[in-house]
Amino acid sequence: MKVRDVFKTALGNLTRHRARAALTTVGVVVGILTIVTMVSLGVGVQREMKDAFGSVGLETLRLYPETEQATELDPFGKPKRIKLLTPELVAALQAREDVIEATAFLQLPYGMNMTLSLEGQEVQADPWGPRPASIPEPFSVPARTLAGVEDPPPGGGGVVVSDSLLLQLGSQPKELADLIGHQIELVLHAPRGESQAFRVKIAGITEREWNTVALSSPDRLAMLQWWYNDPDYLAHRGYDEVVVRARSLNDAVQIVSWLSAEGYEVQSLKMLLDMANRGMIIVQTMLGSVGAVALLVASIGIANTMIMAVYERTKEIGILKAVGAAPGQIRLLFVVEASLIGLAGGVLGTLLGWLLGLGLNWLILEILRWQEMPMQGTFFVVSWWLVLAALAFATLVGLIAGLYPAARAARLAPLDALRYE
Amino acid sequence: MAIRAIRVARTFEVGETAVAALRGIDLEVARGQFMALVGPSGSGKSTFLNLVGGLDRPTEGELWVDGVELSASKEKVLTEHRRRRVGFVFQGFNLLPRLTALENVSVPLLFVGVPERERLDRAAELLNQVGLGDRLDHRPTQLSGGEQQRVAIARALIGRPTIILADEPTGNLDSATGGEIMALLRRLNRAQGVTLLLVTHDTEAASFADRIVRLRDGQVVGTGLAEQMP
Repeated sequence: MKVRDVFKTALGNLTRHRARAALTTVGVVVGILTIVTMVSLGVGVQREMKDAFGSVGLETLRLYPETEQATELDPFGKPKRIKLLTPELVAALQAREDVIEATAFLQLPYGMNMTLSLEGQEVQADPWGPRPASIPEPFSVPARTLAGVEDPPPGGGGVVVSDSLLLQLGSQPKELADLIGHQIELVLHAPRGESQAFRVKIAGITEREWNTVALSSPDRLAMLQWWYNDPDYLAHRGYDEVVVRARSLNDAVQIVSWLSAEGYEVQSLKMLLDMANRGMIIVQTMLGSVGAVALLVASIGIANTMIMAVYERTKEIGILKAVGAAPGQIRLLFVVEASLIGLAGGVLGTLLGWLLGLGLNWLILEILRWQEMPMQGTFFVVSWWLVLAALAFATLVGLIAGLYPAARAARLAPLDALRYE
Repeated sequence: MAIRAIRVARTFEVGETAVAALRGIDLEVARGQFMALVGPSGSGKSTFLNLVGGLDRPTEGELWVDGVELSASKEKVLTEHRRRRVGFVFQGFNLLPRLTALENVSVPLLFVGVPERERLDRAAELLNQVGLGDRLDHRPTQLSGGEQQRVAIARALIGRPTIILADEPTGNLDSATGGEIMALLRRLNRAQGVTLLLVTHDTEAASFADRIVRLRDGQVVGTGLAEQMP
């Protein structure tokens, strides 16, 4: 029997009961759709994470002060730090051979009320950061620099403000560049009613929809010293975070074990990535199980449809055997027919899975934009190997489901089949 | 010898009882002969026809068809036998209702790997021969009983068999149409030298044969030339 004839005959048989074939296909569609969506999400997110983390460098690690557990009595209180990130530690890290650089950061407290005044006008401002642009945040959209520098100068005295802030103060968009180097005052207002002005210059302007002021570490320190009324703030509280860039991934592992032994709280991006990957595997396994169950049910549906077809065509099988069809050829026709059901479900499921991925991707980005956490990225990636694997898998499910009915058809005794009405 | 049966028996298991359909038949059919098997219902004539056609195997005895012994043959040999050596014509026509006359006739060639073009050409030629050259694209439901049986005869011929096995071919037809079908079979037998084995209880149909064999209760009870039989 020619291959072309096998497919033509099987396809002809399949289209005899279009509605039944279509309904049988639905199960495969659901299964393949789930699996394609799941795998494309896994591939997409892992690629995004790898890109995002990779651009920062996996040899980067983050150091946080060890704190006491928050007590039940005061769950919102600031936990006491038992292991401080001191300037001495930063210096020690910077002195190490295997460290390229160690950068310390200070976080301003959330309740800190800050206004910015320029030529007598005042507007509310949010301290921005703490990270400079040279340490990118995964998934975040980098802000565009409109004028001046991207980051506040590390020595202090200069800030990078958002354009919306200046526009709110009455500046014209065209004049923004002229404001570089302009003196402004940042005023802190303590709850106890006192206030303190800090004189700084505008070093850069970025494009942002809300009022931000990016501050350098020395300026932050000065503000914290005033806020807590503690000239020795660093000695008492230490830094909030130290970012260490090791020379290599191996060095990073060495440094992590050294710092952990010293009692510091260390996070490396590799640890985060590994953790995220583990999370993804769990999600993938769950979705994969749903797809697998759907496909199992679908294969039972296909087997059922094919058994029905064998009953309906019993007499026809007898006729075909009488005119020279071999048992193997009858089996082949039924197996191919079942495989075609699987393949049809695979094609439709892959297509719908791809469309669903596009839709969900758009939806996720849209929701994040609404929540003012703009991100960019493709979280669903349907690659060629995924398409081919999905089609092959769907066909295989059909094929396996068709084996038993096909064997029954092949085994029918020609005489009994001919007499069947 | 086209067919040689030596003490051929066929017993069917019905539940726990064994029913003997054939009880040791000895029979020879010469090449090109037109032989009719007659007898009452249950005499075993259809059972014998099915054995010769390789649709079933004898439980005892030897059955030689065109030099091949069928009782001990594997399924593969029987399939080959049905493809190359025999062609069936049934009482109920047994055409595939979805297919046109042309496609029905060409179906046997599908399983031996003949390309579609050639299949359809040969089928058209045979339909012309049986007088249905203008009915190629009709489906069975659009054809009369006599026309359907002609399609079935064309289908039986397409594999160029040496033996045609006809099981009550006139059973579903009126006598005039039945006569036409018998005349057609007779003509094919004469013109192409095909051996023809006919099973019937229609004496008129049997009268077309060279030789008539009478069966009763699975045994041969009489044989002779058609004109000598009552």
